[in-house]
Formats: sequence, structure tokens, C-alpha cells
Amino acid sequence: MKKRQMYFRMITASLVRRRSRMLVALLSIAIGATILSGLVTIYYDVPRQMGAQFRNYGANMIFTPTEGTFTAEDMEAGRSRIDSGNIVGVTPYRYESVRIHELPVMAAGTDMEQTKSTSPYWSVEGTYPASSGELLLGAGLSEQFRLRVGDEVTVSYTPEFDGRSGEETVLDNTKDFTVTGILETGGPEEDYAYMAMSDLEELTGISGVIDLAELSVSASSDELKAYTEKINAEVPKIGARLVKRVTESETTVLTKLQALVLLVTVIVLALTMICVATTMTAVVTERRKEIGLRKAIGASNGGIIKEFMGEGMLLGAAGGIIGSVLGYIFAQQVSINVFSSSISFMPLIVPVTILVSVAVTGISCLLPIRSATQVDPALVLKGE
Amino acid sequence: MSLLELKNIYKIYGDLHALDDVNLKVEKGEWLSIMGPSGSGKSTMMNIIGCMDKPTKGEVLLDGVDIAKESPKNLTTIRRDKIGLIFQQFHLVNYLTAIENVMLAQYYHSVPDEKEALEALDRVGLADRAKHLPSQLSGGEQQRVCVARALINYPEIILADEPTGNLDDANEKIVVDLFHKLHSEGTTLIVVTHDPEVAEVAQRTVYLRNGKLHKETINEHFTGEIKFDK
Amino acid sequence: MFFRMIFGTLFRQWKKMLMIAFTIALGSSLATAMLSVMLDVGDKVNQELKTYGANITVVPKENSVVNSLYEVEDGGTAVAFLREDELGKIKTIFWAFNIVDYAPFINTKVNIGGTETDAVGTWFNHHMELPTGEQLDAGVTSMRSWWEVTDGKWLDEQTADNANCAMIGTALAQKLGVKAGDTVHISGSASDADITIAGVFDAGGDEDEKIFMPLDTAQSLGDLDGKIDSIEVSAITTPDNELAVKAAKDPKSLTISQYETWYCTAYASSICYQIQEVITDAVASPVRQVADSEGAILEKTELLMLLITILSLIGAALGICNLVTASVMERSAEIGLMKAIGAQNAAVSGLVLTEIISTAVVGGVVGFFAGWGFAQIIGHTVFGSSIEMRAVVIPLVAVLVLIVTLAGCIPAIRMMLRLSPCEVLHGK
Repeated sequence: MKKRQMYFRMITASLVRRRSRMLVALLSIAIGATILSGLVTIYYDVPRQMGAQFRNYGANMIFTPTEGTFTAEDMEAGRSRIDSGNIVGVTPYRYESVRIHELPVMAAGTDMEQTKSTSPYWSVEGTYPASSGELLLGAGLSEQFRLRVGDEVTVSYTPEFDGRSGEETVLDNTKDFTVTGILETGGPEEDYAYMAMSDLEELTGISGVIDLAELSVSASSDELKAYTEKINAEVPKIGARLVKRVTESETTVLTKLQALVLLVTVIVLALTMICVATTMTAVVTERRKEIGLRKAIGASNGGIIKEFMGEGMLLGAAGGIIGSVLGYIFAQQVSINVFSSSISFMPLIVPVTILVSVAVTGISCLLPIRSATQVDPALVLKGE
Repeated sequence: MSLLELKNIYKIYGDLHALDDVNLKVEKGEWLSIMGPSGSGKSTMMNIIGCMDKPTKGEVLLDGVDIAKESPKNLTTIRRDKIGLIFQQFHLVNYLTAIENVMLAQYYHSVPDEKEALEALDRVGLADRAKHLPSQLSGGEQQRVCVARALINYPEIILADEPTGNLDDANEKIVVDLFHKLHSEGTTLIVVTHDPEVAEVAQRTVYLRNGKLHKETINEHFTGEIKFDK
Repeated sequence: MFFRMIFGTLFRQWKKMLMIAFTIALGSSLATAMLSVMLDVGDKVNQELKTYGANITVVPKENSVVNSLYEVEDGGTAVAFLREDELGKIKTIFWAFNIVDYAPFINTKVNIGGTETDAVGTWFNHHMELPTGEQLDAGVTSMRSWWEVTDGKWLDEQTADNANCAMIGTALAQKLGVKAGDTVHISGSASDADITIAGVFDAGGDEDEKIFMPLDTAQSLGDLDGKIDSIEVSAITTPDNELAVKAAKDPKSLTISQYETWYCTAYASSICYQIQEVITDAVASPVRQVADSEGAILEKTELLMLLITILSLIGAALGICNLVTASVMERSAEIGLMKAIGAQNAAVSGLVLTEIISTAVVGGVVGFFAGWGFAQIIGHTVFGSSIEMRAVVIPLVAVLVLIVTLAGCIPAIRMMLRLSPCEVLHGK
């Protein structure tokens, strides 16, 4: 039999036949490793997940025309400069002055589905317009015109009348709308009437015109800056700007949140690792007598350290593997419960967790083993 | 030249002279008992002979080498190569089987050899219990595993510390018979005990009292058989 | 004798006991730190979220319909106003303590060197001494934290030479060709003034085309003394729940006890309601973009911290349990001996429990203070303020440590009870 075979036979015998003690140690390492891999996964995923939460604040970038208006193609060109995975929503807006009950009102043509992404904070009583001829009325207008959900209203538009120099009298375009929702935001949007872009185009008889586009992009402020620069350079008809209020504040708050999770992770990890170390110390200290015996029958200090470390590190590796799995499950649960989305698996965390577990158990075994090997075997065998 | 020679050995702990000018020679193949009451210095002497402790003063010549002057690391090597230890408490590694416990000694000495270990167990009559854990063995069986472990590396000296202290008469006899067998094969035996029956089986017995060699008797009727005074 | 034995273990085996105490201290400090941070994280993050600016706006009742988005035509001067002399009252409402900042605004059309533009009068860092003795610097300096001052510096209302100063948006500054330190002649509808530009700011929005000046300067330009258009309020609020939603629609629909609960909880809607009570003819409404997002982020952060806390508590608990089990098992020989010389199971268990629990108390107390320290480190490093210690943390940690320690003793005690003295003493 080879020496190495005997070495592994001893280690596995120790692990398998001293089951209960080893389970205690393994459990402790596995807990440490779970906390390690779980928290680190969360730490790395927090900016992404929290970033998504911050998209609740709505658009963080706007496209404005460099002259007059721009078209859907221009918007698409701008949009294509941004990684599609980062785009939460892109909403075009076109503003026209229309009249309701002969009073001037600002109408906005937009993509209703996209507004849900770029303005998630909109509170709509009733429903968003889903088909042609439906109107989302700002709460201010709703009060002004005493219009409720379900009411019918005729919207009229005077062609060629651009709101500033209206000398010609042309027959008005009219279209009948049903109010399906009342919009409440606590902001200026409450004084607008929102309709589908196609409805506004039908009403005005002019299509393919966009005054402004709101974008919600999930990216760091540096990435956002890079995107705007790229778009401004490559798409001449569009001026991309960041909504400073949203981007600056997001950076501030997100940085703090990440620092919070980092610090918590560091402290929890440090304490957990010490905890693992004390348990391992206790487990090894228990075996002083065995160490004494091995010395008495001729083991060198180096040999004993090698065997016990081998055992400890094997435990560390096993604990690390269990911990990686449990930690991933934990992080996944957290992600589903907190952010309602699944976490991205990071393969790097597995080897790191195993390495750290092995290192921590190794180091925490090394000290008590070394001190045990310093002890006179005679004393240990006498039952000291 | 004697196999083992202790020259003017002192072991002093503070004011206590655990060993006080002890001189002793052990020849190759000899069976020696060391007797004495508690606190007489038996254990200290055993530790020194077993290379687990060093005298405060004096020379311990083992095969002509003064082990009192060796480093702890070399002491370990000498112990591994020349001494086989048997303990009162057996001290088997409780998660290793009988044969693995024997192989442990081979492992530290050179290379483990399962066949040879099994032969050693066979010599102590435990070949059929090789795969048992210490907890599944009786006290006598455990001590026999301990003997097998001690002799596996063909040591110059087998040093037994109260080998029968935890055993009943029947097992005591088995162990002493084993010693007899080893002795007849030429092994040098040093047995530390306070049991006169066990001590008197040996060829020669030295008595320790207060750290000094008090007297020495030679067994004129050496047979190697244990006799019980019933 | 019982106590003598306990003292014997505690002092003679102090190394082992120290290790147990140390581990318990670690666990208890972990629990203390995490619980304290978790309980306080809502307030802390809420403070941070104030960088998004106001979450409540107050406008005159008759004039709650104003066009201001994207500078629409006809977005003319408001016809109804709020009264400047009532501004102080906002800090007297029930939830005054939660109002961290606010600023009044007055808009007026002005002409600068032939360019028609909007001038906004407001507070920059208006100093207030409240009846409660509290002092507050309120205004846009803190409520527009995202403004980037590209030239010059923030206007400081509190220095003597601020009388005729203003801050100008980058777009307007470019149009007029002015920079910080320049003096411009501004003619308002009522009077003219020479104004020095204190700073140029980049707001990344419509405000870049406006000029901001102290409230009274703008009021005198437009003959609007004592009048304001709107107030922006930044308040720390509790995320809305069903009750808040119901109350926001109509407070009268609530039962008396529901009303009490709602009124005494810092919902955005109840704070709005309270503001309306003190400001004449005003409509206060939550800014959904800010209020809703705040709610979502707060909720997520708190939940995240809660789960992390639970994980660390489980970790700490198992860690302690483990070590206690391991170290009690280690003493099987001693316990076997006690049983051999006649100790009853109960006596042995009592002894071990007393030892471990007295160790746990020491460790727990030390750990509590250490954990409090950790919480403060987190508070100061991340949020720059200390974490408030909640009284509820103390019993929670105490109960946790005790339960966990006892649970750790159970397997060990079970083992001890099964232990037969002869086995132990014969070294099996």
C-alpha cells in the first residue's frame, strides 16, 4: 500500500467514523460558506436589482429635436445606440394644442404601453387607453371640464393653426373620444390629455412627427453619459440629454445602498468566519490526546500537521461546496422575495467560496494543531 | 556494549528530584521490569527511555547514541525507529480499525503494508478482528492491538507502561504470554508496572523509590509464565 | 459546593469558557448590529432619497390648473396666490418633525436686455428659527442637490451682500452671454433692478432657461409682495398602504379610528392633509414620481436588510449552538466522572447549564456593546450619522442568545444523560 493511500484512508476514516463531530464542524463551515456566497452574490446583484427599482423614477434620458421635430426613424436610430438589454422603455411624445369644449388644451400623442415603463409612477383611475378613440385625461383637466371615466368628449383641432399666428380660418378636424382613465401624478402631467399617437396623427392629419422622447435606461451615470455623447455625435437630428435630477440622485442613493450592503457583508462575514474558526479550534483541541499518541508512535510534527490540515481542508472544501449551493438558493430567494426577479448566477463565486472556506478552516485548524504538537506526548497520554 | 545505558540520570522539577542519580544497563534481548509505588519516578524514567522526555542531567545511551543530547525532532525519529510503546490506556485512534491502527505505526515509520499488519495482528491472535473499531473490542483485545502496533516496526525495545493495569486476570495472562513469546523471539522488553505478579515474570526487576534505584532482583527461575497467587 | 464547582470550571477552564463567551459575543454583536441597522435603515435611506427633491407640492386651490410642462403657450402668470406669511406654519403641523426641507416659489416674467424670460423667486438657504427652538436652513440649495454649479457658486442668502444676486440657468446664461460675477439689468412688470450673477447652474431640465433670485427680489420686480405661487415640501414619509390610498381619495370615508391611525402616520397623504389645514386655500398633493418611487425603494431596502439580518441571525445561532455542543461533548470524561461518584443526571445537567448560561450572559453583554459599535461604524461610514438604538433590540438579542445557547446544550445534555460512567472512565 502506498503512503498516500494510507493518508487518504486515515482522513476519510476520521471524517466518516467520527460522524457526529465532523457534522458539527461541517455544519459550521457550511453556514459560513452559505453566508459568504449568499451575501457576496447579493452584494454584486444589488446595483442591478436596485437600479431596476430606481427606474420607478421614470425617464432618465430625453431625446429632443435639434431643429423642429424628429421622426420615429430618428428615435429608432438613437435607441439603437444603447444596449438593448439596458433599455427599460422608450416613449415618444408629440404635443399639439387642441380644443375641448372650445377651450385650448394641450394634447399629447404617445405610446401608452411605453409610458408604463418610462412613467411607472403614473396613477391612473380607470384604465390606460388601449384602442383608438380612447383618452387618458389629466386630473386637472378632468376637474376643469367635469369629465369622468366613461364620458364621451369631442376633441377638435384646427389645421395649419400653429397656436401663434392663426389668421386663416379652416374647418376644424374633430374626433370623438371616450375617457377611459384619469391621470394623477401630482405634477404638470395632470393638465394634459393623452391619446395614442395614431389618434393624434389622425386628428391633425400630420404623421411621423415626434417632439420629444423619454427613455428609461438602466445603466450607471458614466454609461449614460457615454450613451448621450455617442447619440449626439452619431444621430444629428436628436439631442440626447440626461435628466439630471434622476441620474444624479440615483448615483448618490445607489452608492450609499451599495456601501451599506458592502459594509454589512464585510462585518457579517468577518464575524461568521471567526465563528467558524472558533468551532474548528474547539474541534481540533478536542483531539490533543490523539495528536499526542501519534507523536508517541513516531509521527513528526510536520506529518501530524499535514494529516490534520488535510482533514480540515477536505471539510472546508465540502462545506464550501454545500455553502455555495445553499448561498445561491438563499440569494435567489432574497431576489425573488425582494425584487421579484431571479438572480444572475456568478460562476466565480463558487471557487471563491470554496477557496475561502478551505483557507479559513485551514488557518483555524493550523493554530490549535501547532500548539498541540508543541505539547509533550507523555503529558497528553497521561490524560492532561 | 549494552543496548541501553542510563548514566547518572537526574530529573529535577523545582525542588523535587523525580530521578536522582539513576544508573541502569539493559542488555539486548533482556526482559526487565521496573517497579515502584506511585511517585517513585517510574513514569519519568519510562518517558526518558521512551524518548518522550529528557533528563535534567546525565547520559542516556541507546545503541551508543546519547539521546539526552538530541533535538526533539531527532528524538521523534529515534522513538519511531527503535521503540515500541504500549500504554495502560491502550490509546488507540478510536475512528481507525484495528488493522489501520497498526498500519498507522508503519505509516509513520516507513510505508504501510496491510499484509504485514495483518500478520502482526495474527501474532497477537486478532487476525479475525482486524476490521473492528476499538469500541467494538474488549480491553484485552485493545491492548493486544496496541502490542501489535508496538512490534510492527521491529523495534529494539518494547516499552510497556502498566500494560495490564486495565485488564482482568485472563487478559493479563494473554498479554504476559505475548510478552513471553516476544522475548523468546529475542525482543528486548522493558515493562513498567506496580503489579508484583507481572513484574516477577521478568528476568530482572529493578525497584525505584523516591527517584533512586532501591534494589534489584534477578529471577532465578525465569520461565516467562505468569503465576497467580490465589 | 455547586457554585464552587461552577467557579472551578469558569476560572480554571477559563480558556475554553473564554472561547464560548467569545463566540456568543460574536453572535450577539452580529445580532445587535444587524437588528439596529435593519430597524434604522428605513429612516436613513429615506433621508438619502431626499436628494430627489420635493415629494409634496402645494399650490393655490383656484389655481391648481397651471400649465408648466415644457413651457406651453398660455402658461401665464397664476391668478391665485399663497401667502408668504403662512410659510412658517408648515413647520407647526403634527408631522412637522418629518418635514426636512421646503421652499416657496414665485414666477414672474422679466426682460433682461431685450430677452423675455421667466424669473423665479425662492429661498436658497433661508434660515429659520422655529418656535420650538429648532433651527432650519431650507431652500433650493438642498432641494436642488442635482444642480451642477458650472460657474461661480451657490447663492448664499445668509451673507450680507446677497441683496441683488441671482443664479442663472446655463441655457439662459448662454443666450445672454453672461457669466458669474456679471451684473445685468432686469426689468420686471413693476420695477427694475441691477442684479449680480452669483452662479450659473446646469439642472438638466427646463430650469436651465430661468433665472432664480431671492424671494423678495422677484416679488418686488413683479409687484407681488407677500405672494407665492407654490411651495415644494420634502418630507420623510411612510410608504402608502391601503388605508393611505383610501384616505387620499377622501379622508371623510374613514372611520374615526382609521382616521386617527391615518392622521398619526406619516403617509404622504396625511402630511398633505395637515398642510392644507394650516395654509389658507391651498391644495397639497404628493408628487407621484418621487413619493411612489421612494416607497418602492424603501420597501425593497428594508426587505433586503430584513432577509440579510435573518440569514446572519441563523448563522450566528447555528455557530453558537455548534460550539456549545462541541465544547460540552469535549467534557464527557469529566461528566462521566461526576456520574461515577454519584451525581444525578439533573445535577450534572444543572451544572453544565448554569456554567454555559453564565458564560452566555457575559458574552452576550459584551457582544451587545460590540454590536452597537458595529452599527455605529455602519451608520457613520455609509450615512454619515449615527444609528439610533431601539430599545426593542435589547430584549430581542437577550432572548435570542438565551434560546440559542440552550438549544446548543440540548444535544450535549442528551449525550451526557446516555453516558455510562464506566465507558467514559475506561477511555472508550
